[in-house]
Amino acid sequence: MAIRDEFEVATGQVRQAVQRFALGLLVIAAFGAMLVGKADTVLVEHARVLALDLASPVLEAIARPVAVANRTIADLKEFASLREENAHLREENARLLAWQTAARRLENENEGLRGLANFREGPEASFITARIVGDSVSAYVRGALLNVGRKVGVAPGQAVVTGEGLAGRIAEVGDNSSRVLFVTDVNSRLPVLIERTRERAILAGDNSTQLRLTLLQSLQGVQRGDRIITSGHGGSFPVGIPVGEVVETNEGHVRVRPFADFSRLEFVRVVDYGVTGLVGGGHTAPSTPSGVAGQRVR
Amino acid sequence: MKVDGPLAVLDRWGRAALPGAVLLFFVLLTLAPLRAPFLSNALPLLPALAVFQFSLATPERLPGPLLLVMGILLDLLLGGPGAPVGVSALGFVLIRAAVMANRRYLVGVPFLFQWFGFCLLTLGFVVLVWGFTALWTWTAIDPVPALIQYVVMVVIYPLIGPLLARVRARDPLNVPELSRGTARPGETTS
Repeated sequence: MAIRDEFEVATGQVRQAVQRFALGLLVIAAFGAMLVGKADTVLVEHARVLALDLASPVLEAIARPVAVANRTIADLKEFASLREENAHLREENARLLAWQTAARRLENENEGLRGLANFREGPEASFITARIVGDSVSAYVRGALLNVGRKVGVAPGQAVVTGEGLAGRIAEVGDNSSRVLFVTDVNSRLPVLIERTRERAILAGDNSTQLRLTLLQSLQGVQRGDRIITSGHGGSFPVGIPVGEVVETNEGHVRVRPFADFSRLEFVRVVDYGVTGLVGGGHTAPSTPSGVAGQRVR
Repeated sequence: MKVDGPLAVLDRWGRAALPGAVLLFFVLLTLAPLRAPFLSNALPLLPALAVFQFSLATPERLPGPLLLVMGILLDLLLGGPGAPVGVSALGFVLIRAAVMANRRYLVGVPFLFQWFGFCLLTLGFVVLVWGFTALWTWTAIDPVPALIQYVVMVVIYPLIGPLLARVRARDPLNVPELSRGTARPGETTS
């Protein structure tokens, strides 16, 4: 009996030692994964894409009921303010009709002038509509997962737009899934134009709800309410997608509120512009020489 | 020794797989486009909650290597470009180790103590992830969103924690004297 007890004690000690050793091993493995991720970004990219492709069917199954729930909540909220909303929309409609007339007139005029100037239009953009199946929003990332991938022509670097304006850029693409990096993400750098002054700048995200306008030549020209549009520099984005409007200018800081409402995105469009100049990486060189024709004609 | 029927085998397998399955579900749920304010921001910490609670209840069904895999999966799915892959895995493994080492202060104590333990460990986890992400990307990351995440998680812990704790194997001591049989204190049925 005593021998058996001793044996049990001994095995218990061995087990404890193994357990302690196991913790060290696991910690080393975790560190190893981090180091590998830092050293071999391509491998990690592949792993991410694989994980994305595997997870996206499950996510799609989760996303649908969640979307229904979200919509129900939004509907209930809207019922409360239906009357005001209606009046507001009517007013806006009247205003927009006036704009439509103006736009038609300008479009005609533009066409005529382009004919005169022998202007060559940039590549024709086509759209891929996608459902957002996952949010990759945490304290460190602002993005989303889409249910479209390489099979339908999505490629890294393509622009992702909503009805209101630019949402972000495709960062990773799997066979049937892709990841969008929102413009608000800390890694997002976007070459833009200030619509009124045609001044170039870089719009940078910082994971907050607003964007930062940097690399401006001068701050004088910027006013509150100025619209910011994509400049098309770098070649992967079409020119003139609305991005946001300036909401704050003080002491060298220009803050921009994006038009896209990231809190209620459900469907987005991926703009296939034909050229994808920027692939992966994420950092856009501000002064790519391949300027778009719209700039030179001016 | 009695041979188990198929139902009992299924039951055993189900019990063994449950914590891992719940953790996997939470990892995937992290990405669900839930649009509830605050709650959706806190989702990335749900797996940490599961790890804490299951390490407390049935650590043998949530072995370290599984946590490593789950953590890396979470980082792969959630992470943007440049984010460290494996930092959540490290956090999970450390949470498990910390819970295991302090079981006597966490098991069989009033719920408030468990909650306090969860607060401490999750704070460690959040700080670890924040620190590594900042270090890895070499940018000063605003800690406020991470702290909001943390606070929301601490607040909803009492809602989810006890639910997950139900997977706990019945300790013979909790079973009425008559049906306790020959089991000794500390032994668990599984």
